[in-house]
Amino acid sequence: MKEKKFYLTKEGLKKIQRELKILLALRSKKAQGEIPKILESEEVNPEYLSFQEDLEIVETRIADLKQILKYTQIITPPSPEKQGIVNLGATVLVKMDDQIDEFEIVGTLEANPSLGKISNESLVGKSLIGHRVGDEVEIQSSVPMVYKILKINYNYLKMKKNEG
Amino acid sequence: MAKSKSHFCLKKIIDFLINIGKLKKKERRGWILRGIKNPETIGEHTFRVAIMAWLLGREKKLNVEKLIKMALIHDLAEIYAGDATPYDGILPKDKRKQKEILNQWPRFSKSAKIRQLLKRKKAENAAIVKLISKLSPGLKKEIMNLWLEFNEGLSKEGKLIRQVDKTENLLQALEYWKEDKNFPIRPWWIQIKELIDVDILFDFIEELDKKFHKKWS
Repeated sequence: MKEKKFYLTKEGLKKIQRELKILLALRSKKAQGEIPKILESEEVNPEYLSFQEDLEIVETRIADLKQILKYTQIITPPSPEKQGIVNLGATVLVKMDDQIDEFEIVGTLEANPSLGKISNESLVGKSLIGHRVGDEVEIQSSVPMVYKILKINYNYLKMKKNEG
Repeated sequence: MAKSKSHFCLKKIIDFLINIGKLKKKERRGWILRGIKNPETIGEHTFRVAIMAWLLGREKKLNVEKLIKMALIHDLAEIYAGDATPYDGILPKDKRKQKEILNQWPRFSKSAKIRQLLKRKKAENAAIVKLISKLSPGLKKEIMNLWLEFNEGLSKEGKLIRQVDKTENLLQALEYWKEDKNFPIRPWWIQIKELIDVDILFDFIEELDKKFHKKWS
């Protein structure tokens, strides 16, 4: 069976790598019977501690993260001639019902609609993909929904590329 | 000795149950804003989220026990943090304008989205910590882990519950709309189409669409 690819921005990949590193360190310290220093770090959210204390969950999470990393596909900016088309990693300015919103099209792991990060597998995300500025994208529904694309850019990805 | 220890735990559990029992009566704000009479309570919403999670999670071959527990605790923070809606802080006093806004799915700037999310997370995390503070360490740990998995979408189960939560909300909204066609159903559909990305829920909402709109419109 073909494994599912996990589309991640460079930032998303770093986040996953960082979490895996923390959990592996924790597991190894725990195996030695030590209280890991990481738990004393101010960076770690105190509520997160109980989660990290449960080794079974830590193991499951480590396995999940390894699986993700195995099938990760980094989202990169498209070639200049394709930057006028919505694809993964695009920031899209849309108009809908006389209101403006900005979506970032991301993979399912980074999706968070409350922050405007729309999954490429959501109905709106996959409908926007492949369209250009000026296109009116209709979403199949009994309630009519039309998104007019006002602007497309990949600046966010390019910025991350330069940082990386 | 064992008896007194057990008695001690039960006392704390009873206090906890009395506290969370308040959710059985707490009406959901989204419906209050739309003027629904005797609206669904948070406890009632939780009941159907748990059943939905069980039925759909079974099909997806996920950990059903974890799903049901996660569904049962997913709104517990609302005891202290309140039931937030995306319309909080943007509704004018003017009833006519209020109605206009409630007919639309609200849109915000990126910075406002970040601000709202952080504020909400902070309030909910503090609420859940306070709520479980008197429980035994084992229970505390279990609830906190389930809460984190749900809230951060750290597992397939957590991700499914996050989306089932919104889909149950759509189902309830459709039931209100079926009773009263003036009910503004549009914002629910917009939210769902931008949010859902789990395959089983695509089929579910398609069926809802057929059942409610094709049959009752």
